[in-house]
Amino acid sequence: MGIKEVIEMINRMEAAGVIERYAIGGAVGATFYLEPVATLDVDIFVEFHTEPDSQMISPEPIFRYLRDCGCAMEGEHVVIAGWPVQFLPAGSALVQEALTKAVEKDVEGTPARVFTAEHVAAIALETGRAKDKARVLQFIEADAIDLQRLQEILTRHGLAGAWKQFERQFLK
Amino acid sequence: MKLDLTPILESKRAFRRRAAARPIAEKLRMLDALRERTLAIRRASNSGPAKKPVVRETRPDLRATDH
Repeated sequence: MGIKEVIEMINRMEAAGVIERYAIGGAVGATFYLEPVATLDVDIFVEFHTEPDSQMISPEPIFRYLRDCGCAMEGEHVVIAGWPVQFLPAGSALVQEALTKAVEKDVEGTPARVFTAEHVAAIALETGRAKDKARVLQFIEADAIDLQRLQEILTRHGLAGAWKQFERQFLK
Repeated sequence: MKLDLTPILESKRAFRRRAAARPIAEKLRMLDALRERTLAIRRASNSGPAKKPVVRETRPDLRATDH
């Protein structure tokens, strides 16, 4: 049991039309570019389907599908292959862009769609907790992001001020 | 005596670079193992003797009550 099985399950959900498009973000997404850092859950960003006869987006088809596959619910997570997985909507323009521009990676023959390194860093900066700032620093120290590209993303999404503050705090 | 941390820090950086450069499937397996370890530590720290009372910052006579 492991993250690879989680990715296989998410791929099956996409193929079955339960979700429209997904991308891995958070600590697991960052691991595609950086050294692994312990995390307790998997963040999957998705475009939710609307329920029939409703204009509202709903995660219910996801939960229904996974329950039918024998997965248990644990608070706001669904446990897949032993990992608590959180399905998050693309709730901001930045996350929507990250989802659109997500890239496909190969995990020993299994395709996995992941946010670009610059989008993982931009979302971390927007989220702004201590561990998110540490992640941005990790990207910079590992030279794992294109800083020019990151700054373009941040400017586009009104985060230039947050970047300036981050620079003052950690890079100067 | 003066301790030079430079080689230690450089060695740490090199280790992190090597870890980052590993194949992604291997890094994901490392995440699986790290999670198991974190949960084991958490379980062990919760199964010890009864915890000491929580230390509060506010004096008991100044604490807000629930009613």
